[in-house]
Amino acid sequence: MNGARIGAIILKFWFDTKRDLFRLFDIFWWPAFNLFVWGLLSSYLTRVATGSINFVLLFLAGTIFWSFFDRATRDISRSMVEEQWNRNLPNIFSTPLTLTEYVVGVLAVGTIKLFVGGAFLLILATVFYGFEMGALGWFLFPAMVGLMMFGWSVSFVMQAMVLRYGHTVEVFIWAVTVLLQPFSAVFYPVNVLPSWAQVVARLLPPTYLFEAMRAVITGAPVEPGAMVVSFSLNALYLALSVAYFYRTFHYAKLHGLLTK
Amino acid sequence: MYMNHAVLTARGLTKTFGLPAGRQAHTAVDHISFDVKEGEVLGILGPNGAGKTTTIYMFLNLIIPTAGDLVIFGMRYPDDHEAILQQMNFASAYMDMMPRLTVMENLRIMAHLYRVPNPKDRIVVLAKTVGIEDLLRWEHQKLSAGQKTRVQLCKAFLNNPKLLLLDEPTASLDPDISVSVRREIRAAKRRGMSIVITSHNMAEVEEICDRVVFINHGKILAENTPEELAKAVRKVRVQLMIKDGKKRTIAYAKRAGFPVTASDRFVTIDVDEDDIAYLLAGLADKGVQYRQIAIDKPTLEDYFITMTKENL
Repeated sequence: MNGARIGAIILKFWFDTKRDLFRLFDIFWWPAFNLFVWGLLSSYLTRVATGSINFVLLFLAGTIFWSFFDRATRDISRSMVEEQWNRNLPNIFSTPLTLTEYVVGVLAVGTIKLFVGGAFLLILATVFYGFEMGALGWFLFPAMVGLMMFGWSVSFVMQAMVLRYGHTVEVFIWAVTVLLQPFSAVFYPVNVLPSWAQVVARLLPPTYLFEAMRAVITGAPVEPGAMVVSFSLNALYLALSVAYFYRTFHYAKLHGLLTK
Repeated sequence: MYMNHAVLTARGLTKTFGLPAGRQAHTAVDHISFDVKEGEVLGILGPNGAGKTTTIYMFLNLIIPTAGDLVIFGMRYPDDHEAILQQMNFASAYMDMMPRLTVMENLRIMAHLYRVPNPKDRIVVLAKTVGIEDLLRWEHQKLSAGQKTRVQLCKAFLNNPKLLLLDEPTASLDPDISVSVRREIRAAKRRGMSIVITSHNMAEVEEICDRVVFINHGKILAENTPEELAKAVRKVRVQLMIKDGKKRTIAYAKRAGFPVTASDRFVTIDVDEDDIAYLLAGLADKGVQYRQIAIDKPTLEDYFITMTKENL
């Protein structure tokens, strides 16, 4: 693995972001927009509801954590799509760049964008809604890592599908996080889902993280076993998705799909 | 500089693309074997769909061969992927780069991928060579097709490759730029660079290639120097500026079975090289008088047309 070539991929994304203001919109505007919608709703609920539930903290933490998964999925999935749109794949893969170096470069860029965007959201939530980041304590780190890992798993599958099936499957890149959100118990406990949906929810690593998030916020104990299940599922899905991505890249070379 | 040492050896290289169920697989490249020698310019010729570009993509490991052996610099894919591609580069008139990035930004990324030292300086020097120094700050999407081709050429020379693959390098270029590109290719060859070039410009291939491999339907039909291939076409074109006896000339050529065309005072007759004397003697017998005679020797283009027709 060569650092200079990984640096070239990072440089490419830096140039691209610098040249395109809409990319900055994508990092800052849409997550902020989402945050304000949920922030206003949770402020309203806090005002009208009785009881001790801190809706602001629950909803905003859900929004911010979900944005980690959303960003990790879309940013990385989109990189391969954009290379295809620009017919740039033969250019970059006819160089000594290896697939692993490309993936590491893309993940590094995705992680930087994720943390910049996440920090921006946390600041906005703190300034406008009095969001107490400290209330999440230690949980912040495993939640971010777990959601990022699952985002990467989904994005490897998306990239592989785009490589293999072309632009017709691009719609999934935009739709997949929306499709998964209802099953991930982001804003409500998993037990409010219908029983069949609870089965699906239990297969998704974010479900356990959002359950744990609510436990941390409400002061209930976090089940260590649930966290272990979440990270075990994450490790399994990440390994499978990476294997699928590499296999599909090989398939694309066998069938001339990289040069289309 | 011409050495016998082969930098690339292809043996029985084959690529078959599978098609959806119910349809036959398509063999784009069918058991081709040839060498590229050090310091040599090898032309790969053939009509559209002959398998030229698929062959180039297999050299770049962008397409994995179905069968055959490919050795480049004594190494093989996939084990030596990085070592091989570090010493190669590629340009195609049909390849794009990142559209919103400037030419300089695109080239800097490519220079980093090849680990070129002092990339900016190198880019500026090469940009002057291919005539794009004024375009370095332009967004790639704003360039004309010819300008994009020159940017591709600049990219191709970035790492001073030992083996350079050029897919239609002068397509869509103005004649003066094509001349400078050909000059640069010859200069690269003098520096010992081996070059594989696909082109539809036969005059260009004749001018710069040491050897030509002619491919059609994925198979090698001929491999030789451009001159020898052209000689294989026995037809020559005899053009006569007739002073007296135009109708007799046409009638005689038709009777003898030679293809003939006429315009104004000119009559053009296609004959085998061996039949020139017979034609001229026959015309003398008929009392035909001509002011001027021109005999065009066959070119590589004639060979290309003949072979393509024969192998349709």
